[in-house]
Amino acid sequence: MPQVIQTQNLSRRFGEGDTLVRAVENVSLTIDSGEFTALIGPSGSGKSTLLHLIGGLDIPHEGSVKLSGVDIASISGAALSDFRRDHIGFIFQSYNLIPVLTAEENIEYVMLLQNVAAGERKTRVSEMLELVGLSGLGHRRPPELSGGQQQRVAVARAMASQPDIILADEPTANLDSKTGATLLDVMRELNQSLGVTFVFSTHDQMIMDRAKRLVHLRDGEIELDELRESVAT
Amino acid sequence: MLTLRLAFRNILRQRRRSILTGLSVGIGYLVCCVAISMSEGSYSNAIRFFTEDTTGHLQVHKKDYLRRPNVHKHFALEDITESLTDVRIAAYSARLFAPGLAYAGDNHAPANIIGVEVETEPLVTRIEEKLTAGKFLPASYEINETMPALVGAGVAELLEVGVGDELILISQGGDGSVANDIFTIVGKIGTRTSGDRHNVYLPLLAAQNFLTLDGRIHEVVVRVNDIHDAIQVATNVQQQLDITATDIVVSPWQTVQASFFRSMESDKRANEISLGIILFIVFIGVLNTVLMSVLERTREFGVLKAIGSRPWTIARLITIETSILAALGLVIGVILSIPLIWWFATTGFDMPEPIDIGGVKMQSMRGEFSLDVFIFPACIVYVYALLVSIFPAVKAARINPVDAMRST
Ligand SMILES: Nc1ncnc2c1ncn2[C@@H]1O[C@H](COP(=O)(O)OP(=O)(O)OP(=O)(O)O)[C@@H](O)[C@H]1O
Ligand SMILES: [Mg+2]
Repeated sequence: MPQVIQTQNLSRRFGEGDTLVRAVENVSLTIDSGEFTALIGPSGSGKSTLLHLIGGLDIPHEGSVKLSGVDIASISGAALSDFRRDHIGFIFQSYNLIPVLTAEENIEYVMLLQNVAAGERKTRVSEMLELVGLSGLGHRRPPELSGGQQQRVAVARAMASQPDIILADEPTANLDSKTGATLLDVMRELNQSLGVTFVFSTHDQMIMDRAKRLVHLRDGEIELDELRESVAT
Repeated sequence: MLTLRLAFRNILRQRRRSILTGLSVGIGYLVCCVAISMSEGSYSNAIRFFTEDTTGHLQVHKKDYLRRPNVHKHFALEDITESLTDVRIAAYSARLFAPGLAYAGDNHAPANIIGVEVETEPLVTRIEEKLTAGKFLPASYEINETMPALVGAGVAELLEVGVGDELILISQGGDGSVANDIFTIVGKIGTRTSGDRHNVYLPLLAAQNFLTLDGRIHEVVVRVNDIHDAIQVATNVQQQLDITATDIVVSPWQTVQASFFRSMESDKRANEISLGIILFIVFIGVLNTVLMSVLERTREFGVLKAIGSRPWTIARLITIETSILAALGLVIGVILSIPLIWWFATTGFDMPEPIDIGGVKMQSMRGEFSLDVFIFPACIVYVYALLVSIFPAVKAARINPVDAMRST
């Protein structure tokens, strides 16, 4: 399996002196293509910060991030935007769809940035809606969808651009556990059928049970990197 | 395309705020249009007044005549007629000038003696309409009779003469001799306050004869079909004249009435500056609206950037949104302006006291209804919209996705 994410001695601190926080400290992590990995740990352990660093949204103080072999420190500005657009899908805790766009348009958005042809966009939008189980709801705007449905649109949006990696920061935190579990199933199915690499952070025990690899973080450091044989369904 | 759709929906999302902003832009625009219409209207009235009254749209003289008129700076009409073939020329007429004195009985008065072409002068100016008594100069007259003259009201008053009376003119002839002759008053012109009150008009031939300047003239006055072409026609005629004649200069009314033109232009500039300031104040409000809408959507822009929108794409979105707001304001403004300005242009209102516009007294206020009146403020509105959008656009473009999503 090719390594799609590779971090080396990654460190990110906030503040200084007495208020210095080592949000991510000396993290070296390798994730292969097609993995389904959960970052877990108590609040403040650095899960979000690590995901931001991996996704090129934040800049480390030390160490490097390589995505599909590309050191993202070497790109910046519009090129970094384009890199994110083409290689990374983001899912956030609080859905973060564009409220004035319909579900379909939210999904279409990144493809428009990518200059995907209109016909292709249409096909992929309905494909994605189908995959996340929202066929027929594409014309609704986010406020007209439930939290779980919105988060599935967010998954579809992240998938539509056909990225190598999907980074999801507590995607189920705002959902009740049953809805959260369903969303996880959707994500895992996409992972298995399409081979997209998923890295997500979570607090939720039930969600952790569905992940194959658990990276335990504490005070910004990797405490335990756990590969599990059996996974709950 | 999506950016445009996004921008429209964002504008619609804050319907009330957008309409209020649009309304303020619209009213600012309206104020500008009305002010410009009034100023253009009263100036074009003034210009029409003096060009039709005396100056015409173009004048042809011997070089330097305008600055320092002199009896000796004369030329022949035939020297230049070939150059007056521009199709935009409606009519032209030759004039001859001399300062003089008029006598009748014991009374005397200063007189501007003006020889005019009887057939063509009325085609160029409103001289015939200004008659208050008697008739216009006859096209022909008996050589042995006294020659006809048309006098300004001021001359008539000082000399205590009327139609049918005689007067004596004294001046200096072109050959240096003293010119004097007797004339019969056939008509009276203008009022005791109008600019022509000391004029005495003679048929051109009579004037040439009187001043011993046979076949010579000092000025050709030209009327063009559209006053806006004056400068172009002047340039064109001048080019032709430069080939065939020497020392002959064509001046558009802007040069003939240079001091009026300068004061008009500076007044218009001042006007434009104050309008610019009014719109600037309006656009501070717009800036506030746009900034507020950017701050409200910090999180949204953070997401858009995180999922791969370039900073420039976000900046453009804000600029487009501001342009849409400005366009909305323009639509409102144009809808309000058109009927109002139409009314100003067609009906207008009368002044309780005549007002002085660059030395011309105007009794009524009329606006101007033309494309320019609407276009100029629209351009300022658009430029301001772009300027005002720069700061919020840069702000939005520089939003850091991580910070943006941390803030709830
Ligand atoms: N912008 C910032 N300024 C200051 N400190 C920050 C900033 N971002 C993160 N931190 C600190 O870094 C540490 C790691 O934060 P991070 O958000 O990565 O944790 P987390 O594991 O995602 O927590 P949670 O489970 O609550 O989301 C925390 O102590 C946090 O207070
Ligand atoms: Mg977090």
